[in-house]
Amino acid sequence: MFQRIGFYRRCAQLLTLLAIFIIPLLNLYEITFVKGTFYSMDIGDVALADPLAVFQAMFTSRTISLIMLASMVVPVFLVVLFGRVWCSWFCPYYLFTEAVAWGRSRLSVFGIKPFTGRYREGSTSRQNIIRYLVLGVGLLLAGIAGIPLLNLVSAPGIISSQALILVKFRTVSFELVFILFILVLEFFFFKYWCRLFCPTGSFLSLFQGRRGLKVKKIELECRSCHTCIRSCPMQINPMTEGDNPMCHNCGICIDACPDNHKQPTLGFRFR
Amino acid sequence: MGFVEALRQRLNQNPFKGFFRLNRLRPPGAVAEDHFMELCIRCSRCIEICPYDSIRRADIYASLQIGTPYIYAEDKACYLCMKCPPVCPTGALDTRLRKGEEVAIGKAVIDQDLCLNYLYVKEEESGKVTGMATICNTCFNACPLRDKAIVMEKFLLPVITEECVGCGICVEKCPTQPRRAVNVVPTGMIDEKSSGYYYRRNRVRQSQPEGDRGAVSGEELLERKEQISTFGETPQFKSDFSTDGSMEGWE
Ligand code: SF4
Ligand code: SF4
Ligand code: SF4
Ligand code: SF4
Ligand code: SF4
Repeated sequence: MFQRIGFYRRCAQLLTLLAIFIIPLLNLYEITFVKGTFYSMDIGDVALADPLAVFQAMFTSRTISLIMLASMVVPVFLVVLFGRVWCSWFCPYYLFTEAVAWGRSRLSVFGIKPFTGRYREGSTSRQNIIRYLVLGVGLLLAGIAGIPLLNLVSAPGIISSQALILVKFRTVSFELVFILFILVLEFFFFKYWCRLFCPTGSFLSLFQGRRGLKVKKIELECRSCHTCIRSCPMQINPMTEGDNPMCHNCGICIDACPDNHKQPTLGFRFR
Repeated sequence: MGFVEALRQRLNQNPFKGFFRLNRLRPPGAVAEDHFMELCIRCSRCIEICPYDSIRRADIYASLQIGTPYIYAEDKACYLCMKCPPVCPTGALDTRLRKGEEVAIGKAVIDQDLCLNYLYVKEEESGKVTGMATICNTCFNACPLRDKAIVMEKFLLPVITEECVGCGICVEKCPTQPRRAVNVVPTGMIDEKSSGYYYRRNRVRQSQPEGDRGAVSGEELLERKEQISTFGETPQFKSDFSTDGSMEGWE
């Protein structure tokens, strides 16, 4: 079965993965049109930055500069328009965690049944509480320590800066161990980092409003097979909770719905 | 240092903020260390832009500063091309800094017991030959602010002046092994609490000349002052130069 959205999404992810190696390589040859990592990046004259990283810097240093604010504008605008597409379409960590999830699903070939979390009534709001609690406690700790502490666990930033020093110095540093650690745990337990912990993702979803790109049940009648619920990596109900901040618009549920070929049941809609 | 004081010092130190180490420098334009650690988001952009590969991303041995930029002057000094300050997205590096002479990474300090030129002069003066001494001048020749940051006293003894920006090129090039005769003390980390052993040792060396009886107060001071008398022997000062018995026109 050809997964239309999934195909485009995979392309975007692979291109991003390629980019985090290509950009430092180009910089080595002094082509600096695009420069930086996923903590902060310049494309031409447009400054982009991980809103959480910049927010923490403003928070801990109690200073606000125009550059910092300006670099938050485009990412926040993207979230307002398209939701948390950063996570499912571009974040390099997400590609890894999907690879791990695929590896886990292979386990069942050997007769091992991997443990997976399941959607239950009300579990979405519980997940949201955990996420925002982690973010809040993290920000509190960052305030106490007086440094942007959460950057130490920001997966996309770590991965891209590791790629940078790999290209530039042909070494990696200890931070990669952290990434491997959470990936290994995801292999043996279940997908938890993006769902429950990642402060970068949680902070992005704060800007998700009622409007913007959402997954929506278009045809109210379907055969209620619940394939979409089972396929959702965020363990929410795509039919009713498409506007929940948990949803990162990956479109897996839309691809998965068996009725979607006959009549449009689930789809992306602006509202 | 007593146990309690050691404990107090340990607890008062913020483990997240930078700690002093010789020749380990922040990139040019870095604000004072406390503020720097608040602002630096570990984005590695200064590392990416540096054409000399001077800046490194700190690894686990820098404990919680992992990911922040450091220049290890012994390996690779900063060549003051001033490409890194403008790219910093948060102002951890002063983004308006453009001139190399205005950088204040640190100040170089020459260890006179190790510097080959100083050894040379000492040997000349004492007549003891160790075979170690050479006329080296490497730091003087390598310094980008030659004759401003390093001047040659008596055309032979390198002396660091206030103009030194702390780029560390002299450290990188100094040939003495295993310790360099010239080292950069980073600015922004130099206070007693956070700069550690080297700073304290320096201070002790400078403030306690040989034979000093130390400061006293109270009864002891009074007693000592009572012993001062205008009568009796005049103190004899030893000096290693001879004075003329008389001066012309002062008779
Ligand atoms: S939640 Fe964090 S790690 Fe996961 S995809 Fe989003 S930014 Fe990346
Ligand atoms: S001034 Fe130039 S050489 Fe020095 S650290 Fe910055 S980029 Fe590297
Ligand atoms: S560019 Fe600035 S924020 Fe980024 S690592 Fe260097 S000093 Fe830190
Ligand atoms: S003396 Fe010169 S070379 Fe050495 S740190 Fe100072 S400015 Fe740099
Ligand atoms: S390079 Fe080192 S040994 Fe040579 S003159 Fe300078 S400080 Fe002395």
